[in-house]
This record gives sequence, structure tokens and C-alpha cells, in this order.
Amino acid sequence: MTRAAAPSAPPQTIREERLARDGKRKRSAAHPEVNPLREGLRLERVPDPHVMVLFGATGDLSHRKVIPALAQLWRTNLLPSDWALVAIGRRPYDEGTFRMDLAESLHKHCRVQLDEETERQFLDRVFYHRGDFGDDAMYDSLSEKLEGLHVEQATAHNLLFYLATQPSAFPTIVGELGRVGLDHEKHDGGWRRIVIEKPFGRDLDSARKLNREVLRVFRESQVYRIDHYLGKETVRNLMVFRFGNGIFEPLWNRRYVDHIQITVAESIGIEERGSFYEETGAVRDVFQNHLLQLLSLVAMEPPATFAADALRDEKLKVLRACGPPTRQEITRDVVRGQYGPGWVGGQPVKGYREEEEVDPQSETETFVAARLEIDDWRWSGVPFYLRTGKRLARRASEIAIQFRDVPHRLFAESSTDPQPNLLAIRIQPDEGILLRFGSKVPGLGLEIRPVTMDFTYGTAFSVDAPDAYETLLLDAMLGDQSLFTRADEVEAAWAIATPILDGWLDMPAPDFPSYAAGAWGPAEADDLIERDGRRWRRL
Amino acid sequence: MEGAASMEGAVAPPLSVTPLTAPATPGRPVLRWASRARTVDGVAAELGKIWSSISLTTPGEHGDPERRVAARSSVMNLVVVAGRGEMGERTAAIVEGLTGRHPSRTLIVSTADPDGPAWLDAQVQAHCMLPSPTAPETCSELVYLTAGGESGQHLAAIVAPLLIHDLPVTVWWPGEPHFESRAVSELLTMADRILVDGSGWSGDGLAGLHAMADLPKRFDVEIADFALLRQARWREAIASTFDRPNLLPFLYYLDRIDVRYAASDGTPGMANVVRPMYHVAWLASRLGMSVVSPVRAGAEAWSGYDVVLQLGRRKVPVTLCPVESTAPRGTTLAVGLHAVRNRSELAVDVTAYADGVVVRATLDGQAIPERLFLAPRRREAELLAETIDAAGRDAISKDVLAMAAVLVEK
Repeated sequence: MTRAAAPSAPPQTIREERLARDGKRKRSAAHPEVNPLREGLRLERVPDPHVMVLFGATGDLSHRKVIPALAQLWRTNLLPSDWALVAIGRRPYDEGTFRMDLAESLHKHCRVQLDEETERQFLDRVFYHRGDFGDDAMYDSLSEKLEGLHVEQATAHNLLFYLATQPSAFPTIVGELGRVGLDHEKHDGGWRRIVIEKPFGRDLDSARKLNREVLRVFRESQVYRIDHYLGKETVRNLMVFRFGNGIFEPLWNRRYVDHIQITVAESIGIEERGSFYEETGAVRDVFQNHLLQLLSLVAMEPPATFAADALRDEKLKVLRACGPPTRQEITRDVVRGQYGPGWVGGQPVKGYREEEEVDPQSETETFVAARLEIDDWRWSGVPFYLRTGKRLARRASEIAIQFRDVPHRLFAESSTDPQPNLLAIRIQPDEGILLRFGSKVPGLGLEIRPVTMDFTYGTAFSVDAPDAYETLLLDAMLGDQSLFTRADEVEAAWAIATPILDGWLDMPAPDFPSYAAGAWGPAEADDLIERDGRRWRRL
Repeated sequence: MEGAASMEGAVAPPLSVTPLTAPATPGRPVLRWASRARTVDGVAAELGKIWSSISLTTPGEHGDPERRVAARSSVMNLVVVAGRGEMGERTAAIVEGLTGRHPSRTLIVSTADPDGPAWLDAQVQAHCMLPSPTAPETCSELVYLTAGGESGQHLAAIVAPLLIHDLPVTVWWPGEPHFESRAVSELLTMADRILVDGSGWSGDGLAGLHAMADLPKRFDVEIADFALLRQARWREAIASTFDRPNLLPFLYYLDRIDVRYAASDGTPGMANVVRPMYHVAWLASRLGMSVVSPVRAGAEAWSGYDVVLQLGRRKVPVTLCPVESTAPRGTTLAVGLHAVRNRSELAVDVTAYADGVVVRATLDGQAIPERLFLAPRRREAELLAETIDAAGRDAISKDVLAMAAVLVEK
């Protein structure tokens, strides 16, 4: 009899060990916990049949991002064939008009256009359900509709809720879902998950309150708090770059790193979202979520496994090691700004206070820069400079790791000092990684000039990368929470951001506008970093 | 030899260096260089010229001068052994369609006029693509090599000097490689991966499978078989059945596996059964089964093949059963699994259906809701792209091929 190599679990008992050693071991047939046929099928895996229920289906986010992402997943056969979307909105559509409206959005926003037949199949699975989020009757009829769909579409009682609504509607929707029992997971395998869009709370108290309200109905393992930045290819590659390569991690600490800069710069303004931005500002819109998520990914310790909680535990430790800034630190290490009129991309643009639905005396910040420190063994003494803003000179997001100078100047005859090494991870645009090092200029002298090794995603992989929403939606359908933020993580991020917001309330009114549109932020932001003898990277 | 001008399946470009300056459109490959050579050294020289003299400026969208720095993609060498005639044209079309995806240098090697004198003809091209409107163009080199006469028997000697060093080498052999031949051996000594399609091999394909399974012992080479890749959705469909906690334990009580395959013209012995065999090999390798009795063809026509596996203490008979069908010969039509545990009986039937596979299962006669998995047939171009993407080791392929080798042991 010939025996082939087989995947196997470690022996549990002395007898099993002996049998394994003798090559006679059989698998434990009594209580197998893991489906062995699943091994190696991650990319081939299709989510279980389910109904997705999208709240806020007529809104901008749904039409621009969520539904096109679902259509792409359908196009690439990554959705189960037994799948349906129930779209909930307040507008008086019927199924036909909503589908027509949706088709238009798909044509406008899809990354790759669907052929006619595929689009028809996709739209046939979309069902419109009109109603007000606070109306009990709407949830009763939704419950009935879902029962019907489970039978018609064989969706096995699995439900994925997606809240793409105004944050103020989150508690109401979650409470109503609990009231009609749509949160209950069934014994016969029917799962229930809920995806909640950012912003998750307005400050620490409201985030805690929202967490309490959500967790009163759903368990943490059912909750997927989405920050689309975590679904971006480069951000996901950050983990591969750090923990899949042997040469960088030994350098990734206070001994070799001088400081780290994280920038999320936008050239666009608030784009007809004046009332939303007035209530939000740069700290709530980007700093509390995107910037602090990038910070935790770049600074975290290697997780023991790639499991969701192992990863999130490590990110949480970073945020906790940052701690809430003191009043003195807020005054010294945090800068806010607001754009005035200026020029962007060769076009004159309005100042923030002249935008529609914005108070002409608004004190809302459109720019924030901060110097943070992480008090742990790896990073103690290494400053992290974070900045984000609207109407900056260009759209650019990157993480730059600035290494220390060489300890000894060997090339004294060179007219230029070698610049310290730099590793820049570009998130957008032109995703890639750049490493700067010194090189001798050809010639008889010994001049040193910085040169760069530049890896651009497009050069190595000219493939069409999936949109962040495609990645994250598929993960939620497959039950993988790795790229979603946990309740304690959200609260830890708010614990950093909230004292800043509160501190500003007690400070004198800022002298806004403080930077012209098209500049790189206010002069105070430059002072913030230059007083440490460093400079912002020119992007 | 000037006879090369009439080489098969290619339109001969002028024998001059041609830097081309057509405007670029994001996402669409554009030919930036075309030249020709008649010796290996000549090809190497032409490849060198591309990067020293390719035009860095191309017209912008509205005809304005626009500077775009072209960069060579540096990911891998792809060697395509295109054989002769139509195969060369087909593979060339597929590879051109993939321009910009990954390979930095592709050598498409064909042979011609085997009884004539030795000659070589090469078309050297650079295809570039703008990944996005703001990014620089990235370029891949494509060399069509046609070797005539005795040169055609020494392909490795032509290929070796043209590989970019330090980059992995993938050999795509779309036809039927003779794994024990000198030509294959010479090429595989320089390769990191070989891509084949076992479903296209002659006869029942099992001899080729057996020979291929032996390759890892002789060469440090990874094997990817499109026939196995095409079954991804079948594997997902079968695996999904046992995601149900109440059905999972039955996996270890399997007592029968039946695979039905298409044998349309009434000559089952001639149907290539590599694909049905891979289903058995996958199940056996994942479940840690051993082979009691390797595959044996039935005594009579239409009796198919039999295998006996062992799962724990239980012997599991396996049948590969030919079925009259309009589907291409050798196509898997259905996979059936049967298990009895604690007097409960599970029967699973996964059947090919139009653009997908349907999973039907019954537990003690009670039907479990069926599931359809969409699985449109994937084209060679998609499979090639996917294989190139998955540059790392593929645990499934490795285990399945190892098990297949044991299953078809002579």
C-alpha cells in the first residue's frame, strides 16, 4: 500500500503520537473542528448564501462606493449565486425605478463595466424597501420581506446589515433590528452581521454610548466597523512589507528611526458637504480614524497570528501607548488650520468660509497637524508627525520613515553630507515604496548625492487592484474582521482625539483662515516640526 | 537564412529598428519598439538598444509633447514553448493580451523546418502601458524566436543567454511536453516554474501525469496545471458542503467516491481523465487518505477506472465513470460522495450545470438546500494571469500532484 503525504493536526495523546511516529495515525474522527477541504481555498472561497440589507441605499456613499463594489464582486463571481440585496431608503421609488437609478450609478462609478447580461442578473437581485429608519412598521415589513427572500432565494437565513446612513440614525436602526429579532443568529447556521460606516461617534463619550447601544443588540463578533482606508492595497501591503520581509523589521525601532511622518493630503475642498463638514472637521473626518489607523499599523508589534483579534490587539496597544494628550501637549504639539481663498491646480478656489452651508465665521478646522509619541520600548523618543488637510497643494498620502544619520562622517572631503536614509510608503496616488540612500557621483571627486530606489505598484503589478470597498465587503461576508476596527480600538482612538477637540473649545478663537488654498497648511505646522530641527516632506 | 522571412504564423516586420511614438492610453498596451535579429547575440544587442534609445517623449492626448519615462517591468522571465504553427499564434495572442501584467521579458519559442539547415529568426518588441494617467509607462519585452533545423532541438541554448538574471523563470508549455525528453530537461534546469495543461494531453493523459509528478524529484521546479486550476470552483462547492458543522464529521466516514466524466464519442478509453483524476487526488490529499490500489482501467469499454483508497480503517472504493455527453471529452460532469456515520447517511452530488456547478445533498433522505456556484469556463489568458499572480508556492497543487502520482502509479 502506498501512502501519500497528508496534512495533519498535531498528535493529542501518547497513543496518537505513537501511531503518528509509526506512520499509522488516523485523523481524529470524533470531533473534527476544521473543514480540511477548506485548506488553501481562501481566494476561491465564496461567501455563504445571504441577504444584504443596505440602509441609506439612495445616498451618495451607496451609489458611488457600496453598490458598485457589490457589482464588481458579482461580476467576478465572488458573490454567492443565492444572494440578494434589500436596499432601504426614504425616497418614493418602486423596484423598477430604483433599479434604473442604480444602473445609471453603475455606469458612472463601476471600476470595470458589467456586460448587459451580468448587469441584468445583478439588478434582478436588488429589492427596494421604502421606509423611515425610525418607523416600527418598516422593520416589521422588512422582517416579513426577508423571510420571503430566504425562501425564494435560498439564502439560508444569513443576513448582512450595512449602515450607510447619517451616523445619527445608527442607534435607531440597531435598536429596531434588535426589537424585531433580526440580530438573532440561528442554530441552523443562519448568521447575522452588521457593518457600520464611519464616523463611529463624535467623541469618546458618544463612541462609548454608541458601542453600548450596538453591543446591547449585537455581539462584538457580529460587528464590522468600517474604515475604508484599511482596505486599500497599499495599507494592506504595509503589513506584508513589515512582516513578510526580513530586512526592514530589525531597523523598525528607536535605535535606527529618527522620526516618522504620516500625511493624508487632499487637494479637494468640502465638495457640497458644507453642513456635514461644519459638524465634523479634520480631526473627526480623518485624524481620529485614517491617520491613527495608519499610525497603529506602522508602529505595532508583529502580531502572533494574522487572526483578527491578534492584529487588533497589537494596534490597540499602540493607541493606548500614545495616551490622551495633556493640555500642554495640545497647545504645543497640535496645530489646526482653515483654508482661505487660493489657487489649486491652476484654478482659483473659494475659502472655506465662503463655501455653501458654511458659517462665515466658522472655526471648523480643515487642517490638523500633530506631534505624537508612543511610549513603549520600541518607539520611546521617536516623534510621529501626522498631518491632514483639505485644499492642500496636491492629493498625496504617504508614510515616511526617516532613519537616523550615520554615526560617523567618514567622507569629510565631500562637499555635501550624506542625507539620512528614507523609506516612503506611498498610499495614493502612484502607490509604491521608495528607499533613498546616498551614492557617489561619478567622477574623480567623492561627492555624495541621494538617489532613490522606487517601487511603483504599477510597474510590478499592472493589474487592476480591487477597490477598498470590494475587499472589505467580501471580508465581512466571509466573516473576517481583521480589517475592521474593534470597539476598544475606536474608543482608544477617540481617547486621543477628544482631548484635542475639547482643548480647542477652551482656547481663544483661532485666527482663521490660516492658510491659502493650494498651500501645504498654516505656517504653524511648519514651526511644529522645524522646532525639532526637522522638516515636512515635500510631496 | 533568409528563409526565415516565411516563418510560420507571423507577419514579418521590416528589418530595421523602429522606436514608435504612438500616444499612450492608460491601461492599453502600445507597441513602442520593433526590430529584428538573426542571432542570439543580435537579439541581446537589440534588447539592450531598447533601453538606451527608446523614445522618452510621446505625444500627449491632444498631440502636445509629453515626457513619459519608460521603465522596464522587472518581475520575471516567461518562456513560452509554442511548438509549431497555430500554437505559436495562439500563445502569442494570449501573451500580448497580458502585456504589462507582470513578465518583464517573454520569449516565445517556436520551431520550424526540422530537417533543414540551422537558422534563427527573432522579432524583438517592447510593449508599454500607462498604468494611470500620472504614472510613468512600464514596458515588457517580447521576443518571438523561431529556430529552424537543428537549432530547434537546442532551445535551451537559445533561451539561456536571453534570460534576465536574478529573475524567476516560468516556462509555459501549452502543448504536450515529453517530460523525459532532453529538450524538457534542458529547459527545466533553468526554470523555477512550469505551466502545463494536462487536460489537453493525448490518450487518457495518465502517462503524462505520472511523468510530470516525477519532475520535482529531478528539478527544483514548481508545477502549475491549468486543468487543476480550472477546478477551483468545484473544490469550493464540495468544501462548502462540509462547512455545515453537522455534516463535517461525515468527511471522515466517506465510503464511496464517484466521478462521472464526459466520453462523448463512445470510446471511453480515449477520453483524457486528468481532470476527473484531480478531483480524487484533491479529496484524497486533503483527507489524508492512502492508496490501497492505484487506478486501473476497467476490463470493458465504458467501464471507466477504479481506485481503492483507505481512510482510517475504512476502504473507500472510487470509480471514474464515463458518461455519454455533449460536453468535451474528459470534462467532469459530477462528483458524488457517500458517507455513513452513526447510522446516518449522507449523499452529496456536485453536478456541472451550464455556467456553474450545483451541490445537492441529502442527509437520511432529507434534502439539504441546494447551492449553485457560478463557474464560467476560464480562458487560458485568465489562467496564465492567475498563475503568474500566484508566484509563491501553491500547497494545493503540490499535494494534489503528489497524490495524483501515487494514484496513477504503474
